[in-house]
Amino acid sequence: MEVSNLSKSFDGRSAVRGLSFQAADGAITGLLGSNGAGKTTTLRMLCGVLQPDSGSTTIGQDSLGALLDHTGLYARLTVRENMEYFARLRGMPSRAIADRIAAVIATLNLETIAERRAANLSQGERMRAALARAIVHAPRNLVLDEPANGLDIHSVRALRDLLRHARDAGAAIIFSSHMLEEVRALCDHIVIIDRGCLVAEGSPAALCLQTASASLEDAFVKLTGTQEVPAC
Amino acid sequence: MLNQALIVARKEIADNWRDRRSLVSALLYALMGPAIVMMVSFTTRASAVLIGMMSVFTLVSAFAGGVNLAMDAVAGERERRSLLPLLLNPLRRRDIMIGKWLAVSLFSAAGVIINLAGFAIVLHAPRPMFLAAAAVLPLALLAAALQLLISTECRAAKEAHTYLSMLVFLPMIAGMFQVFHPLSPRAWLNFLPVLGQQLQLEQWMHSAPVSFAQAAGLCCFTGAAALLILEAAALRLERDEIVYGD
Repeated sequence: MEVSNLSKSFDGRSAVRGLSFQAADGAITGLLGSNGAGKTTTLRMLCGVLQPDSGSTTIGQDSLGALLDHTGLYARLTVRENMEYFARLRGMPSRAIADRIAAVIATLNLETIAERRAANLSQGERMRAALARAIVHAPRNLVLDEPANGLDIHSVRALRDLLRHARDAGAAIIFSSHMLEEVRALCDHIVIIDRGCLVAEGSPAALCLQTASASLEDAFVKLTGTQEVPAC
Repeated sequence: MLNQALIVARKEIADNWRDRRSLVSALLYALMGPAIVMMVSFTTRASAVLIGMMSVFTLVSAFAGGVNLAMDAVAGERERRSLLPLLLNPLRRRDIMIGKWLAVSLFSAAGVIINLAGFAIVLHAPRPMFLAAAAVLPLALLAAALQLLISTECRAAKEAHTYLSMLVFLPMIAGMFQVFHPLSPRAWLNFLPVLGQQLQLEQWMHSAPVSFAQAAGLCCFTGAAALLILEAAALRLERDEIVYGD
């Protein structure tokens, strides 16, 4: 997955300015930035729901599974029906849908909640159900916007395992997070943006080295805490 | 593709079917007219009054049957943030809107049919009701498109509710005006959606002759207006604000 020279502004205020980076196959790329840095806008353009003002992204919607900002399940449908709906919209044949849903349910341990309506799920269950729906078409690549938010420890571990598993299978994965521990544990590559611009990228170790910091948190603060607007 | 629009329609129908509150309120709206006219018919046999009342209730039923779904299907989806995941699927936004429109239209049409069935029993006039249904059903398509356009402009179901409950006054005003202030017959009024249906309903109920050209013309105009408004709603679904900001 690649974004090049991506820009977007809303009502004259620029949210993303000339952003370029790559997310390699078989690697997990973390997108970091403070609130309002442009992470969500970037991910939405990457997924094709927002059109950039300029620049481009190279990714096909067919090969992409995305979980952005909120679970957005249909409360009156069961977890299985939520998955079925999206699988049908993707044009999967009925036979393949049943098999694939069974496989996803097994992977994410959804057996006990598959037939329950989304309205009656806990927050962690909802997140897992939304993740299941996002990967129901067996996407090659994943884009996740703060997927670990509100998850309990078991669910975070399950999510981590899923991402590692997908990476080892050759997927390109991008996710954004505020939990730097999480990022450090998972990511092979980190992209840090501030006020819509790329300020640094590299492996967690390289970023710490570059900023002479002991922890990723210190490195992040040094890179994004500056007063002046980054030039890009 | 039509196929994807049908998938959307099917989901919306199943979803709304499970929303008991929405169904009960639509049913009450549809049956309120026949119930009230039945009560009035105990005190008066003046058919002009009864038919005048009936036509207003029937027009309103076209706007009441699908209103909850229309509210929920776009503004509600935005509010609950399920619209963004839906848009991530590779389908045209126009097809999403068409699917939702088909579903809302179905419930609007069901409202009209239940309403007319009620009147057929209360007024002992089953035959004119069939003809009346043919006149009013296209209005259900127009009402569904209008409601979806308004819903697409709103960020939350409650906001949509504010405007959509005002929209129900449109057929009411048209109907009331006709009842209390009958317009002098002008040909073009027969082709005006809402008012045209009102006039045609009364003609059927009074067993007055209705020209086929007039009925077909009104049907075409109403259908065309519905498609234009549907297109406007589909275009409004394309703008950035739909997925930006909360």
